[in-house]
Amino acid sequence: MDKPRVAFFDFASCEGCQLQVINLEEDLLQVVGAVEVVSFREAMKGHSDDYDIAFVEGSITRHSDEERLEGIRRCAKVLVALGSCAALGGINCLKNFHDQEYVKKLVYGDKALLYETYPARPLKAVVPVDFEIPGCPINRNEFAMVVKAFLLGKKPEIPNFPVCVECKMAENICVFEKGMTCMGPVTRAGCGACCVTEGSFCWGCRGLVDDPNADSQRDVLATHGLSVQDVLGKFRLYTGFSEVAK
Amino acid sequence: MKLRLIEKSDLDLFVQNLINDYQVDGVKRKEGSFLYGSIKSPEELCLDFDCTVIPPKKYFLPPEETLFQFTSSPALQVTPVMESNPFILFGVHPYDIKAINQMDRIFARGVPDPHYLKRREAALIIGVDPTKVAPRSFWADMGAATVSEGFDLMLTDIGESFIVEIGSNKGRSLLEQHAKPRPATRNEARERVGIRSRISHICKKRGFAFPKREIPTLLEHSWKKFFWEEQASKCLSCGTCNLVCPTCYCFDVQDNIDLDLVHGERVRRWDGCLLHDFAKVATGENFRETRASRYRHRFYRKGLYLFRLLDDMACVGCGRCASACLPDIADPVNLFNKLREDEK
Amino acid sequence: MNQPMLEDSPYLPKWAEITRIEQLTESEKLFEMRLVSGEPLGHTSGQFVELSVMGIGEAPISISSAPTENDVFELAIRKVGNLTTAIHSSVTGDRVGIRGPFGTHFPVEEAKGKDLLFVAGGIGLIPLRSFIRFVLDHRDEYGEVMILFGARNPSERLFLHELEQWEKREDIIYLDSVDKSGPGWKGNVGVITTLFSKIHVDSSRTYCIVVGPPVMYRFVILEAKAKGIPDRQIFLSLERKMKCGIGKCGHCQINHLYVCQDGPVFRYTDIFDLEEAL
Repeated sequence: MDKPRVAFFDFASCEGCQLQVINLEEDLLQVVGAVEVVSFREAMKGHSDDYDIAFVEGSITRHSDEERLEGIRRCAKVLVALGSCAALGGINCLKNFHDQEYVKKLVYGDKALLYETYPARPLKAVVPVDFEIPGCPINRNEFAMVVKAFLLGKKPEIPNFPVCVECKMAENICVFEKGMTCMGPVTRAGCGACCVTEGSFCWGCRGLVDDPNADSQRDVLATHGLSVQDVLGKFRLYTGFSEVAK
Repeated sequence: MKLRLIEKSDLDLFVQNLINDYQVDGVKRKEGSFLYGSIKSPEELCLDFDCTVIPPKKYFLPPEETLFQFTSSPALQVTPVMESNPFILFGVHPYDIKAINQMDRIFARGVPDPHYLKRREAALIIGVDPTKVAPRSFWADMGAATVSEGFDLMLTDIGESFIVEIGSNKGRSLLEQHAKPRPATRNEARERVGIRSRISHICKKRGFAFPKREIPTLLEHSWKKFFWEEQASKCLSCGTCNLVCPTCYCFDVQDNIDLDLVHGERVRRWDGCLLHDFAKVATGENFRETRASRYRHRFYRKGLYLFRLLDDMACVGCGRCASACLPDIADPVNLFNKLREDEK
Repeated sequence: MNQPMLEDSPYLPKWAEITRIEQLTESEKLFEMRLVSGEPLGHTSGQFVELSVMGIGEAPISISSAPTENDVFELAIRKVGNLTTAIHSSVTGDRVGIRGPFGTHFPVEEAKGKDLLFVAGGIGLIPLRSFIRFVLDHRDEYGEVMILFGARNPSERLFLHELEQWEKREDIIYLDSVDKSGPGWKGNVGVITTLFSKIHVDSSRTYCIVVGPPVMYRFVILEAKAKGIPDRQIFLSLERKMKCGIGKCGHCQINHLYVCQDGPVFRYTDIFDLEEAL
């Protein structure tokens, strides 16, 4: 079998997910050995439009993005949304809750007129997406798992259970027990509960599980002292797009 | 029963001697909670804990464990992986020992599971009677305040010293070779009885409002109740109650492969019947699709299904599920009492 | 505690070589295999194996060949998940992992000298074929043999060549139906239960063996009961998620029963009152 040709692209994002790919370190060499990377702005010069798998980071925030993404979709046999911005809309969607002109002025000041923007959205709002690797940033082991799955001709499987599972397996003390609040009970696992393990709490960056009990999670957060506005904020941080979409 | 006694002042020496000869794991403090972990010096070992976050099942059924390693080319090859490094588990409460005894039966019945049994065989268990009761514990009501088997040594804090009960020949030689025990006097033995009954009495403040032997029958009549839906509407399907339970042992099996696509391993990981995809097959059919069906299954499994298999409920009253469940719907005491109340 | 042979992990597969592949329908293939060790699989009709491809995983697959077919065995597999997709892309000569056979079997011995009514819905025919073939190989040991087969549409009918043969045989009754007709279909149209009105059974001496999708059981059992077939002579095979095959992993549990060990074949009287079974 010929090595699959792989290309990386980015839209509105911090490029942190592509950085995670570069941070694969020794595994990166194996990935690079197993595939042929034909385009990766963050790591190499040169570019080709002849590729099989496109990994696309970032959310879509303007009309001109759509055209470019459609072009990528036409070239790629498989299109993978890389990271929460691409998969869920992510943090960029926070601006969707404000007036777009106001947001533009806030960011660009008197240069606002020079820029185009519209409410941020995930890739799947524009083109069909074959697979999503959520996370802010992505978990690089999960990225490697997805690459291996493609190489094996297998559909990659990411967990459909909440972060609590991995958190318990890591023997963390529950965030709520420590007087903080956490989005772990409704957030898709796959990160190994890394934030809690490091002493923080789950921000919900991987988006919700398929069948989240959002009502119960809201009750739990309220019981632990969060106001309605705070609870909303917790849910909106990464999955604001789906809220508006509903 | 011959009981021994070691002075508290000699305990550290005992522990240190064990550390010198064995891998010793025991309960450690972390951020106000208690966890089992590796003990490198006697000061680390905590014996006056109320309950650990994760039960000691992790030593016999680890959260993730390799069943075998494989190579897929040039020739298919598999090598089983079985861990059996001897170790001492120092400080296990009777209810957790009861849970391990139950797990031993599960993994030995029918087709035995050598991965579990090898780890189990390699362990020396030093039990300790609780001196504190966790807020949600009800082990006294579950008949798990004391155990008569499943330990190599069992310690009871009687003030200035520990009474030591010998549970096995291995335990006896461990004690004789690593500590300076003397026979306990009749008075000291009596003191152990008193201490056990006092702590049991404290624990009994939480419990069932009816005899627990009626739980299986209660469940037989309760399948269709709206109660399950009502309770489960709050269920986050996070599996926490399963994962922290000392008698839950369900697992998933998966393959991990290296990027060379040649070397890999088959692993098993903790799974939980509360999780959405637990009973879902490849065709998409999910045999327990609703929260309520999964929630109900857990209690039926604990109180009826495993009771039918083992003649004992699969709950030892540690209360871990109750204290870990965020919407607070996992507590067997609350649940069975409500169910019983509902029946009247 | 029992003293097991601790070196023998029940999770280790044996190797089997694929000796023949036949496309059955658009989504099903038949794989004939032989254990590399040369020993026979040693199954009884109704049992299953855990089939695995290293790096992809493992899945329970029912055995479709009769135990009497020498040293080869057959698995008919629908392409639905990762494992079955990987198997579908394999070629003759490839090696796969096999654990088992696991589970209970059809009443092969008990039904000797009795009449048999086989009721298969869709890919339920796959495990049932094992028993049917056994019975046809030992035809004089059984009484009347009736086979009812229902598929959703003509294109989902498996083992076409065999179905034709069964239809032609004088010593058995074979009837089939499709839920929805399709190009070239001239046979019965309607759900499988509509076939019951076309047969006569000597109820007290009939064993009814049912395998099909979960929704089918309730209706077929009602028909079987209406024919007067005693409950304890009705057998069925249940599908559940199975990971270990040895009654440990918990996925297949129905009440106190583990489908992988106490099933997949159950006598109706053993499960009719168990919640979640049917």
